[in-house]
Amino acid sequence: MPMGATEHISKQFETDLDTTRTRVLQMGGLVEAQILAAIQGFTSGDAAVIAQVIDNDARVNGYEVAIDGACNHIVVKRQPAASDLRLIMAISKIVTDLERMGDEAKKIARMAKRIHEHGGQHVQRFPAIRHASQIAVKMLRQALDAFARLDAASAAEVMKEDSEIDSEFKSVLRQLITYMMEDPRTITAALETVWVAKAVERIGDHAKNISEQVIYIVKGTDVRHTSFADIEKELSRE
Amino acid sequence: MGPLEILLGLIVVVLGWKLVANRREFAKLRRWAAQPRLTDPPEAGGAWGEVFNLLHRHRRTTLHRRRQLAQLIVRSRRGAQALPYGVAVLDADYRLDWCNDAAEEHLGLDAGRDRGQPVANFVREPGFVEYLSAGDFRTPVRIPIRDRNGAPTPRTLALQIVDFGAEEHLLLSQDVTGDERLESMRRDFVANVSHELRTPLTVLAGFLETIQDLKLDAGRVRDYVSLMAPQAERMKRLIEDLLVLSSLEHAPAPPPTNRIAIRPLLERARQEAEALSKGRHRISLAAEGAHDLAGAESEIASVFLNLVTNAVRYTPENGEIRIRWRSSDDGAAFSVEDTGIGIEPEHLPRLTERFYRVDRSRSRETGGTGLGLSIVKHALARHNAVLEVDSKPGKGSRFSARFPATRLLAAAPPVSTHSSRPVAG
Repeated sequence: MPMGATEHISKQFETDLDTTRTRVLQMGGLVEAQILAAIQGFTSGDAAVIAQVIDNDARVNGYEVAIDGACNHIVVKRQPAASDLRLIMAISKIVTDLERMGDEAKKIARMAKRIHEHGGQHVQRFPAIRHASQIAVKMLRQALDAFARLDAASAAEVMKEDSEIDSEFKSVLRQLITYMMEDPRTITAALETVWVAKAVERIGDHAKNISEQVIYIVKGTDVRHTSFADIEKELSRE
Repeated sequence: MGPLEILLGLIVVVLGWKLVANRREFAKLRRWAAQPRLTDPPEAGGAWGEVFNLLHRHRRTTLHRRRQLAQLIVRSRRGAQALPYGVAVLDADYRLDWCNDAAEEHLGLDAGRDRGQPVANFVREPGFVEYLSAGDFRTPVRIPIRDRNGAPTPRTLALQIVDFGAEEHLLLSQDVTGDERLESMRRDFVANVSHELRTPLTVLAGFLETIQDLKLDAGRVRDYVSLMAPQAERMKRLIEDLLVLSSLEHAPAPPPTNRIAIRPLLERARQEAEALSKGRHRISLAAEGAHDLAGAESEIASVFLNLVTNAVRYTPENGEIRIRWRSSDDGAAFSVEDTGIGIEPEHLPRLTERFYRVDRSRSRETGGTGLGLSIVKHALARHNAVLEVDSKPGKGSRFSARFPATRLLAAAPPVSTHSSRPVAG
């Protein structure tokens, strides 16, 4: 093969990878907006916002299908190796996580609709859930930034924050249980609020998964199911 | 050896010597040219010297021009850096080339690390992504921004792409949170005023229609009229408050020399409170210090009245209301403390907004217009004073107006009592 052709192909390959990466990040931006809107819908009960979130989920799914297709195409056509292959594999996992986060946003919107339609807003655990969702969104944003910059250190930072959401979730749960014991009329609303809190907690988990994938891309080490202290040790061993 | 050979030999010697000399000069040239910094050319005579000088001059001008260009770049970057807007230079594919600090802060970019990456990798808000792909950059797009390290703050950014040069773009960003808030405040204000006026007007119109359409006896009509009167009164009060507020906004600042006698005003506030309370509250007045205020009497009177009537309105029966005035050479404070229903902390920052009400039904039923604290805030601001609110829900509130020393005048000696004038200073 003449030299020029390989160069051309690798350049084309580079462009394909770049485009896919940008697409993933755009999908992430959409998911982030979806989560924020869902939480806004949950706290304000704004029916238009809630409906928008539910409608927009199709766009998230559309991104997933398109990016997955692009990944398959690259694998088949270019047969990438080493770090490029790692990138492609990580992308297809990240996209799955993003799509699930979109589902969680939709779930929150659905719950919000139900809670506010009943009008029986006995339970007001909004501040804590809002706080947890802010952390979750921040984690997602950091994970995406780390993916854009291929920055393993800041991806590791994200993983540290997940425990904060977990403890916030536990405290929401405790408070809701107290409410339910005090006044059984609150049980329906409280259970629905639990689902919202759980969805937020899951969003945090997915953000953590994304940052694990970023570390995998950069370092080639699989840090899933590894404690944070071990990951930090691993990263500093350069 | 013939003369020819001698001549040839001489030529060879001369040429050889020249060659050696030339090589020496050449080596000098090479050494000199290889130096990274501009130094004086080596000494050389004849044609070599000329070449050295030419080269030296050429090098000097090039270097000078390069320095000028570098300075120009530095200056224009510094200019872009100093702009209050975020500026990012993008290439034909909207990849980041450079950006200033404001853009880094607004968009979460890192000018060093993110160079060469598509800007949409970092500015991922769907609104902006759509704006980029639509390619119509005549108007800016508004997106919410969140600061990178903390909770999402409700702030808005206006982003616009401007083409410049050959196939390059500028991305301008501006924080328009203030504008947006102002716009929404104006919208809300008009909507609120209309709403506040329409409610009593609907009641009035309803009664008028009934009186017109039905044959009613005089007693019934009188009943209706007595129900209509308070509605008309409420509209009047609202319009008066609006006029006060608008005059506070537009009139020139009150002169700092106009003396306001504080004692009579305090007494009036107490009387007003008692009239409104009709004996349902314990009301006390305590005044310390011998200073008067400088400013507009009617404005300060309305501050006092508004704070006092609020306290009466929001304090249940048998509650206590303490009106205090305290002045010293460092400043003065007028405060009204009640044992009322108190205010939840989340309402405190918005209390002085027009028509902001913690509890809509309650405020109207007690006769508030929703403008009282806005008037207080404006009137105080015109006297360089500030309003402070301390409140515990269920326990009570304290509203204090703090006046700076510059607004105080030593009180005129009281007419009847012993005249011990306060010593200045």
